Amino acid sequence: MQLRFNYIVLIGGLTFFTSCKKWLEETPNNALPANKSITDAATARAAIIGAYNSVQGYYSASYPTLGTITADNVIFNGTLSEYLQLDQNAIPADNVTTVAAYQNIYKAINSANSVITYVPEVSDPLLPDAEKNKLLGEAYFIRALGYFDLGRGWGGVQLQVQPTTSLSAARGIKRSTLQQTYDQVLSDLVKAEELLPEDGSTRNRAQKSTARALRARLHLYRKEWAEADKYASLVIANNKYALVTPFKTFFTTPFGTTESVFELTFSANDKNSYWNLWYPSSAGGQYTLKPSASFVSKINDAAIGGSRSSLIAGTGNNVYGVLYNTSATSTDPSYIIRIAELYLIRAEARVWLEDLTGALADLNKIRNRAGVPNSTAATKEELILAIENENSIEFSFEAHRWFDLVRTERVDDILGITNKNYWVFPLPYSDILSDPDAKQNDGY
Amino acid sequence: MNRLYPKGVYLLLLLLMSQMLVAQTTITGTILTDEQVPLEGVTIQVKGHAVQTLTNNRGGFSITVPALPVLLLVSHTGYLKEEFTITTLTPASYRLIRNEKNLDEVVITGYSTQNKKLIAGSIQTINSQTFRDVPASGFNQLLQGKATGVQVNANSGVPGGGITFRIRGNNSINASVDPLYIIDGVFISNTDPIQTGLGQQQGSNPIADINPSDIENITILKDANATAIYGSLGANGVVIVTTKRGRLNSRAKVSLNGYHGWSRATKKFRVASGAETALLTNESRINTVKDNPALPPPTLIAEPESQPTYDRVSDLFRTARTSNYEMSVQGGTDKSAYYAGLGYLKQEGIVRPSNFERYSGRLNYDNYLNRQIKIGTSINISRTWRNVSSNDNNPQGVINSAIFVRSYLPVFNTDGTYARYGSFDNHLALINYLGNDAVGWRTIGNIYGEYAILPELKLRTSWSLDNASEYENNFISSLLAAGVASNGSAASYETKNLVLTNEQVLTFIKSFGEDGKHSINALVGNTINTVLSQSTSATGTGFASNDLTAVSVASVRSGSSAQSRSKLLSVFSKASYTYNNRYTLDASFRADGSSKFGANNRWGFFPSGGFTWRADQEGFIQSLNLFNELRFRASVGLSGNQNGIGPYAAQGLWQSGNNYLDQPGIAPSQLANPDLTWETTRQTDFGTEFSILNSRLFVAVDYYNKYTYDLLLNVPVPNRTGFATYLQNYGAVSNKGFELAIRSTNVKTRTFKWTTEFNISQNTNRIEKLASDIALGASGRNISILRQGYAVNSFQLYKQLYVDPQTGNAVYEDLTKEGNITAADRQIVGNALPRYTGGFTNTFSYKGFDLNVFFYFQQGNKIMNMNDFFLVHGNTQANIGFVPRQLERWQKPGDITDIPRVTTSSLTPEANNSAANNYGGNVANLSSRYLEDGSFIRLRTLSLSYTLPASIISKLKFNNIRAYIQGTNLITITKYGGPDPEVSSQSGNQNTAGYDWATVPQPKTIQVGVNLVF
Repeated sequence: MQLRFNYIVLIGGLTFFTSCKKWLEETPNNALPANKSITDAATARAAIIGAYNSVQGYYSASYPTLGTITADNVIFNGTLSEYLQLDQNAIPADNVTTVAAYQNIYKAINSANSVITYVPEVSDPLLPDAEKNKLLGEAYFIRALGYFDLGRGWGGVQLQVQPTTSLSAARGIKRSTLQQTYDQVLSDLVKAEELLPEDGSTRNRAQKSTARALRARLHLYRKEWAEADKYASLVIANNKYALVTPFKTFFTTPFGTTESVFELTFSANDKNSYWNLWYPSSAGGQYTLKPSASFVSKINDAAIGGSRSSLIAGTGNNVYGVLYNTSATSTDPSYIIRIAELYLIRAEARVWLEDLTGALADLNKIRNRAGVPNSTAATKEELILAIENENSIEFSFEAHRWFDLVRTERVDDILGITNKNYWVFPLPYSDILSDPDAKQNDGY
Repeated sequence: MNRLYPKGVYLLLLLLMSQMLVAQTTITGTILTDEQVPLEGVTIQVKGHAVQTLTNNRGGFSITVPALPVLLLVSHTGYLKEEFTITTLTPASYRLIRNEKNLDEVVITGYSTQNKKLIAGSIQTINSQTFRDVPASGFNQLLQGKATGVQVNANSGVPGGGITFRIRGNNSINASVDPLYIIDGVFISNTDPIQTGLGQQQGSNPIADINPSDIENITILKDANATAIYGSLGANGVVIVTTKRGRLNSRAKVSLNGYHGWSRATKKFRVASGAETALLTNESRINTVKDNPALPPPTLIAEPESQPTYDRVSDLFRTARTSNYEMSVQGGTDKSAYYAGLGYLKQEGIVRPSNFERYSGRLNYDNYLNRQIKIGTSINISRTWRNVSSNDNNPQGVINSAIFVRSYLPVFNTDGTYARYGSFDNHLALINYLGNDAVGWRTIGNIYGEYAILPELKLRTSWSLDNASEYENNFISSLLAAGVASNGSAASYETKNLVLTNEQVLTFIKSFGEDGKHSINALVGNTINTVLSQSTSATGTGFASNDLTAVSVASVRSGSSAQSRSKLLSVFSKASYTYNNRYTLDASFRADGSSKFGANNRWGFFPSGGFTWRADQEGFIQSLNLFNELRFRASVGLSGNQNGIGPYAAQGLWQSGNNYLDQPGIAPSQLANPDLTWETTRQTDFGTEFSILNSRLFVAVDYYNKYTYDLLLNVPVPNRTGFATYLQNYGAVSNKGFELAIRSTNVKTRTFKWTTEFNISQNTNRIEKLASDIALGASGRNISILRQGYAVNSFQLYKQLYVDPQTGNAVYEDLTKEGNITAADRQIVGNALPRYTGGFTNTFSYKGFDLNVFFYFQQGNKIMNMNDFFLVHGNTQANIGFVPRQLERWQKPGDITDIPRVTTSSLTPEANNSAANNYGGNVANLSSRYLEDGSFIRLRTLSLSYTLPASIISKLKFNNIRAYIQGTNLITITKYGGPDPEVSSQSGNQNTAGYDWATVPQPKTIQVGVNLVF
């Protein structure tokens, strides 16, 4: 009797505790457990999509802002001091825009690292090797783009090449030099170029040519002129790409024109409301970013801007930029690489390779497309300056001008920022506090 | 069936009784109060015998005695002891007389009722009489200045808007710091259901769904001994609300209440005139070119002094009306008791267009099926309607659009359309067309059954739900800036927060020994709790007309939905032993299992203990002839916290919805923490209470020391990991404080009475351990900071030492002594927590007149005046006007002021004493000159009422007639320069308190009202 009673208590107790245990287990319906994230074809595909989404995260607004308001074409006209700080080039370590860009770039890198690590382990008949390679190639490209954008903004950064599964595993990674960061970019681009496919129409996902185009830009930044020339030529030679006329074609619907080597597409379900920072409140925007008066007079000059004056609208004190203009639908793409850039990369490389005729031809190709007469630049110095000015006008509202001036060490001459420390952005304040391996850039 | 069941119980009873009858004689009877109300739990003893019993819930008792006659000793807390001689077996009823001194001393504590004198915990009960008629929508707001250890502040003057409510300080950083609210045994959700983006403010006060007039009293449990029984829910204190219930055998009493009030702002916003704005602009432009001669010559506004001024601020404000009507009926038969109440409240915001409206209904019903079984219900149903509008960081909010736009710019374009400037919308367009409707339905219901197994042993089971749903429909017409580009946009949100609670409690109360020297009050119970949150939203843009507002007719539509669920399992027990009415020892224990935590650490255990000594019962104290009451309390215990963290916070997750090219995407979103567990608060409390001078002066003093460890902390992690934060148990916060409450009856004659109540609470908050600084607040400006060694809600700014009288440039403290100003020179310059809070009430009664004067005060808190931050900008903000404070700027050598020379120079932003840092540069206007003292003392209410004499009332066949006039917030004394010092614009996050940013100030109200009872 006593024994049976004990039994009942024991069994009852066990049932109670196991059912309690089960009753207390809850899982979300909108997220996957981390250990079941990339396990089959569907999740592998979803993971690379997630990586692109993170690239959207920094290219939709913060990164182009960092490349423009910091320089001379765009000025601060709003209320948020994070933009005033950028405009004045007095950027504290907790500047919202630099922090957001830095965070999202590393998010994209972590996604890419996960794909690179886990996709090769997936064995799913629905995921053939060709597609696996494509996904891996895209991940290498995204990681390369991320480190490239970090390097040119912040200098040499900490190189994470493994997915983060725990905090302890991430410890001990110090900052690399800018050359090491760019080496990482190059090695990823080499793999990406090898793994990626090429078709005749894709412009919003990485392809072989996308990797080559970024590589051309990397070589330009590293002053490796022959390679820059070579990779730019490879992309230009691909008849998938061509300059569009009139100029505004590429930023009016339908997007994804032949102009585009790589752009990020947005849609009604995946909006990009960057236009809001450019448009005045009378047109529904916040008007934080405004074309500067000197830029407006240049772009309105038929001999400088030509048809590129379609980048601005409004009159008098209310001129505003309209590169991002889908105010009704918020579907502007993020323009990352246009074929025009490859011409200007090659032009610059050719100047340094002493091919002045070739350089002038590429430069004029861009000018003529905008209805601007041929350049009169004749000497090497004149050509370099002409290309610099062309870049400024051609990519006035894209993430170029600031980075070009830093790359060519012209920040002092053009913007009057003598202190070289301020030619790179500060690492986020929270990283300095939370990461013993992070060292702040000098001067911040 | 429902008839059969009681019959069965009767049968069982009869059987039991007949068994007893065989042996001895049984006396039966009923104990009633003066008003013929049965008394439950009365101790019946037979003199000279060891037998005793308690009355049941209908006042009945039966006790077995050897032979008649006997002498019954009858005693009950709050009543005078009586002796009755029993000579016959005929059942009879006996009356107990109230002991007026003691009656109010039974208090509700966690899961039980106890005699206040024997309680070891720190517990305060506030009778609803003390806050009746005050025109505030939520009872939590009404507790301001009424209880010690409780800090209550309205975050804005928006009716039905958010409230900051802290019991003994902020215990946590990332988990919730709000107390647990329990209404008639129902755990209430205090989650703000408003989805509409309203800036960083807390959109609504969910407690405003309850009509304060239905409340009988509110008990606040503060220390560990009182709260540990609520385990993981109790760390932030517990607020137990008891609503009005009917009493058995009482005549139906109908009560009608109504009032009307008129409110205006305590103080309005002030902006510089058009001429002043133009003057400052020109001055800044001239100075800027002086600072940087490379710039082209300045373009000046022609004839600055003749610029017009367009008054936008006056358009914002109105005389807001408040109307409140209530009706209730309360009574009981010999078996059942009821309370039913209906209420309607409509409150307009003093700043247009916000409004609040509430319909509420309550039914409380208790039925005694028989001597042993009682069932009952409490149901509250309310509907609220809010017209909400955003503040702080939204340039398209109503207040921003009025105060930020430069005052010389016309409100209308020449063609008559609304004019907009820079980032700002037109304030009149917003007032006229902003359509943010939020309709909430709240059902708080409870069904309970009580079964007295033995007179001293009672089982209670209770089934509760709190269902809060919010239906929001917003339409932004194309006449508003936010709708211009999209051609109108609409959003519809349906949100539901459901809390289900079931609990069983077995209570044992018994006194034994001679004269009941030993008494035991013990209970054991369990709860099962589920919290479900669901939301669905639909948005659309592109409308054919501004008259079409449904999402369904938008040209582009999208939708979303989310849900989450968390569960909590608990078992608990509590026992209290009292010896000789002098010494009480308390102990409680609770075990909680939560679905939120990691599998390794799901269960938490929370013990507590306490001791009370009623020194006034000791002979040597009584011989002093000084104290009418004197007791000492001490307690220690643990309580936990899991509120405010996500339901899946411990799990490693890849978030879905990271889509691209309209294909589904997933990305890492959260690192797993299988060790995640409870945040625990250890609290010790020492208190004493005494009354002297014939009980005319009552004093209560408490000291507490709380230490919260294993904080549920979102620790910032290196961004290079791909994650920004990681939730872990790290860090500690302490709160230490004193509380003092004094009640005094100054004058008491037959016709005149003057009483004074004074309370003051002091709390010292300190972050004891933190992984690294966490900076946040003010939309990325990181003005608030959490730093080890400092209090939460600290402000981090560049400390302006002075404005150089020679150059007019601001000089900041160079902490690093590097000669330049960098981010490292920001320092903590104050915090938003008051050092002292308190209330001071004087009540004068003369015949039918009552005059009540109530002051609330707080001292030592700072306010970050974001209005000045933006509107004193030296012209760095081309689209923003100025406030008059900018006129105090430095103009010429020798000027002594704290407002630097106006300029927009950006040269050498790192150098200290550089003009670039006056309003921009590295300092970016994050200067301590905008941080102000927020201390204030305020005449919170002043009311004069007149109650008609009983002779007239009875002639009119009424029970009571009372009319009153009342003023709220009539006088505010403060050094704060903004409109009102009671403000917290960024209240959506508990760590960003103390900002004033385009927020509605507190209303000043005059009201007249009448109460009728018949």
